[in-house]
Amino acid sequence: MERLSLKEVSNNSKIGLLRELGYDSDGEFVLESGKKLLDRYLDIPIRLDNMVILPGSIIILDNNELSLSKYIEEFGDVF
Amino acid sequence: MSSEDPIESAFAGAVKGTIDWTFDTIKSFVIKLKDKKLAFIQDEETINLVKEQYHSGELSFYKEYVSDKEILFIVNMGLTLRKLHSKKDRRNNLRNKIFDKFEVNGVRVAQFVENGILNRYIGILIDNMSSIIDFKDKIIYVLKNINKHVLFVKKEDSERGVIQHVTSSVASNSPLIYIISGKSSAAEIVRKCEGRLVQLLPDCILEKISSNEMENLFFKRVIPKE
Repeated sequence: MERLSLKEVSNNSKIGLLRELGYDSDGEFVLESGKKLLDRYLDIPIRLDNMVILPGSIIILDNNELSLSKYIEEFGDVF
Repeated sequence: MSSEDPIESAFAGAVKGTIDWTFDTIKSFVIKLKDKKLAFIQDEETINLVKEQYHSGELSFYKEYVSDKEILFIVNMGLTLRKLHSKKDRRNNLRNKIFDKFEVNGVRVAQFVENGILNRYIGILIDNMSSIIDFKDKIIYVLKNINKHVLFVKKEDSERGVIQHVTSSVASNSPLIYIISGKSSAAEIVRKCEGRLVQLLPDCILEKISSNEMENLFFKRVIPKE
């Protein structure tokens, strides 16, 4: 699987990507239906500058070792 | 963006600075994402660490003997903390996340693994193993009742407080093995308590795992012969 870092990507492009996936952003957080989207494993809001977007019904997470380990546990090592 | 491969172009853009994607590029990325051919990450380091840990031999070993999925996951987090020992900010961030998700007991279990205590604890259990089932039960029991089996000494703790806590905990819980663990400046406090604890726990044999920055005392209860 190819991995593309979002670190150098402009906010406009990241927001465009989110909108194409049915989400949005207020410039700081990822939004879903106008509300802050929560990391599914930690229940914390996901910052635009620290999000990862992973396959598996499109999973958006906070970039941290715990959430990513939980993701691998649930979906296997897809990377 | 004119390149035929938008991902290749995106990486090329990264060298120059902030990358802007066209609508068509975004569309092509979304198709790849939905086909499970692409993932958007922040940094390779985090992904690679998580992958490496997931496939590690030590975790594979624990998978054989720790049947509780939540505990096993916390063990994995402890191993990950160990890998982050030289990266203070990331280690502290993960520790905070473990606390948010699994509360103080989760942090203690992770620390138990991070400090290499679980390794040695298992070694001691193997020495006295009566059956695999009993062995597995004992591992789960200690991890689920971590407070009864280990004291993580903090730098602000006093020797007197540590000694009182240990003797009281050993008297009330009668653990097979009781561990006192200290890192950095807390390691010195543990060392200073050693002699007094040996005197106060005559029914135990002491085994130590020491390094410059860590001191772990294992007090193993001697089962009286009938």
